[in-house]
Amino acid sequence: MIPSAMASSTETALESLHHIKSTEPPEWLVPKQELSQAVRAASKLLFSSLKPYCPKSPFDQLLTEGFDVEQIWQQIDLQSQPLLSSLRREVKKFEKHPEEISKLKDGGVGGGEKKKKVLEQIETDNVVNDDEDDDDMDMDEDEDDEEEEDEEGEEEEDEEGEEEEKERGTEEESENEGEEKGGIEDKFLKIKELQEYLEEDEAREFGLKKKKTKAESKKEEEDTEEEGDDDDEEDENEGSEDDDDEAEEEEDELGLFDGNDEEDEDDLENARYEDFFSRKKNKSSKEKAKSRDMLEEDSGSDDEQDVDKRKDGPSKHEKELDKLRSKIEEMEKANLDPKVWTMRGEVTAAQRQKNSALEVDLDFEHNVRPAPVITEEVTASLEDLIKTRISEGLFDDVQKARTSSSKAPREIKELDESKSKKGLAEVYEEEFFQKTDPASALLTFSDELKKEASMLFKKLCLKLDALSHFHFTPKPVVEDMSIQTNVPALAMEEIAPMAVSDAAMLAPEEVFSGKGDIKEEAELTKAERKRRRANKKRKFKAEAAKRMGKKA
Amino acid sequence: MSAEAPTSMETETVASETKLESNTLPPKPKFEPLKAHEMSDGRIQFRKVSVPPHRYSPLKKYWMDIYTPIYEQMNIDIRMNLKARKVELKTRSDTPDVSNLQKCADFVQAFMLGFDVPDAIALLRLDELYVESFEIKDVKTLRGEHLSRAIGRLSGKGGKTKFAIENTTKTRIVIADTKIHILGSFANIKIARDSLCSLILGSPAGKVYSKLRQVTARLAERF
Repeated sequence: MIPSAMASSTETALESLHHIKSTEPPEWLVPKQELSQAVRAASKLLFSSLKPYCPKSPFDQLLTEGFDVEQIWQQIDLQSQPLLSSLRREVKKFEKHPEEISKLKDGGVGGGEKKKKVLEQIETDNVVNDDEDDDDMDMDEDEDDEEEEDEEGEEEEDEEGEEEEKERGTEEESENEGEEKGGIEDKFLKIKELQEYLEEDEAREFGLKKKKTKAESKKEEEDTEEEGDDDDEEDENEGSEDDDDEAEEEEDELGLFDGNDEEDEDDLENARYEDFFSRKKNKSSKEKAKSRDMLEEDSGSDDEQDVDKRKDGPSKHEKELDKLRSKIEEMEKANLDPKVWTMRGEVTAAQRQKNSALEVDLDFEHNVRPAPVITEEVTASLEDLIKTRISEGLFDDVQKARTSSSKAPREIKELDESKSKKGLAEVYEEEFFQKTDPASALLTFSDELKKEASMLFKKLCLKLDALSHFHFTPKPVVEDMSIQTNVPALAMEEIAPMAVSDAAMLAPEEVFSGKGDIKEEAELTKAERKRRRANKKRKFKAEAAKRMGKKA
Repeated sequence: MSAEAPTSMETETVASETKLESNTLPPKPKFEPLKAHEMSDGRIQFRKVSVPPHRYSPLKKYWMDIYTPIYEQMNIDIRMNLKARKVELKTRSDTPDVSNLQKCADFVQAFMLGFDVPDAIALLRLDELYVESFEIKDVKTLRGEHLSRAIGRLSGKGGKTKFAIENTTKTRIVIADTKIHILGSFANIKIARDSLCSLILGSPAGKVYSKLRQVTARLAERF
């Protein structure tokens, strides 16, 4: 862009901005050409003014001619979103570290660039690169190299990303050194670096990139000079490798983050023997191993050694370690002790303390249905049910199961318990007649009663029929039980039989009154035979006794 | 008479004598059956039946019912000896059979025991009917309340047990205090006696009934 042209346009844009501010809200309701033009110009100005702070935006300026409202808006959005998140983060940091604001003020001479550098510094305070120790080393080395090579004119946006990281690495280191961490952390393993790395990763995801300028790098230099010799040495060692990496990463802004990623990956892939087992790095590796052992209780001495190395009593890290250790001890103790009764599986009352079950919220499986809660609704529903049932007449009465009788019901001889009206002579007379003349039907007492009853009923029916003028329907044929007396069939048929035949009216099965399975002599089992004989003997004995009794 | 006989015999004997004039036995005499009156050498036979005091008024009540069949159908003279309190029976000349007197005596005796006239009349009509008497103490020695209870058991409520036995066994029973009289045919008497004895011994009426039913059914099957 031509600065002069830019200046004139900015002026017009500022004017239009003021104009927009001054317009009343109701004027916006109606679309006006001049207003839209003014707005476009103003937004262009804003865009370009914000652009320096937003490294990743693809547009150098806001393109408004021939573009849709939506498209303009999207351009703005594209620029502003990452900017917003970065601003938020910076504000948070300012909240936490108010002293940085003063630094900011001091660094105000360098202009925006310096400010940026400080901001970066503040940002990376909290980022710790734990995993990528090599990366740190690489970054450190790169940084140093860059400082050596490109102390000036580092406004190339190609290497900003790398610089950032290197900055961060050195800054982290410087910070770490300043804080004098305990034994766990060393050049390789720094918790702060880990944090910083994580945040940096997040920033990468959001597409936020911090620019690094010459001034910033200078500041880093100052910082790095504070570090111990180890860092420099280490950095130098790794410098050779990282040169290659740098050379590869001359890309556009867009490819910056990819380059960073590649760098990290390359660092991992290109981990060489020297990284682990060079003269200086032996120490670091040992320390690394030591630091790992610190987690166990065996190498407490190392801890102590490291603690002795450090100044000023237990550091934050040491405190954390102590906490962790105590926690671990607690847990191990809990594991070794016998478990709480709730964790012991099946526990009877004798095995736990008195009333200890009251304190625990126990969950039971109730196999019994809970008693129904009688509410008004329940009673109302019950009453309704009762009413409907009564109205329908639908009672769940038990129906008697009729046993189907296959046999004809036998006529039971009824004992007449009243004084007989006939004299004895008549009785014998009848008996004699029955003997000689079987056809004369012998009316038993029950028959006489039935006859009497039927006579009465007939009389009644006659009277009732008279009421209905003798228009009546005949009685339905009801299959009645027919009582069959065991009189010889011939006797019933013939009027005056001279001979009496054996054939009786009733069939053998009707005469038969036995129960169960009748077996012949040949079919009996031994036990049954014995049983029969025993019964026989018993009967015989009884009869004999009776006879004896009678005789006596 | 003697002259007549020889004449009848003579004709025969003449015939025979004419044939043979040797010693031959006289023919067998033919006699007609003796009448009741002529029995015991033509003397009259008597029977005397004493009347117990509790049967005195019933006798007076039913006298005609007793008198009529005896006098007219059995052809036996009957009279009441008030002074001696006895019923006297005497054969007549036209009494057909000697057994009539005995039958009438049995009939009267039955009435005196306590049987009703229509029941006792069966004795006159049928030959095979008998009266058996026994006492409760013959079956089982019971004293005081047990005896009373036994008597009660025999009769049943309103006499229903007794009637039940009577009806099923075709007998007539009279329970007079501790004496029991049964009137009927031999087999029936036996059945009735058995059931009465079981009642005396203590079995409940229902049991007696069931047994009665069985026995009578079996009896009926015989014919």
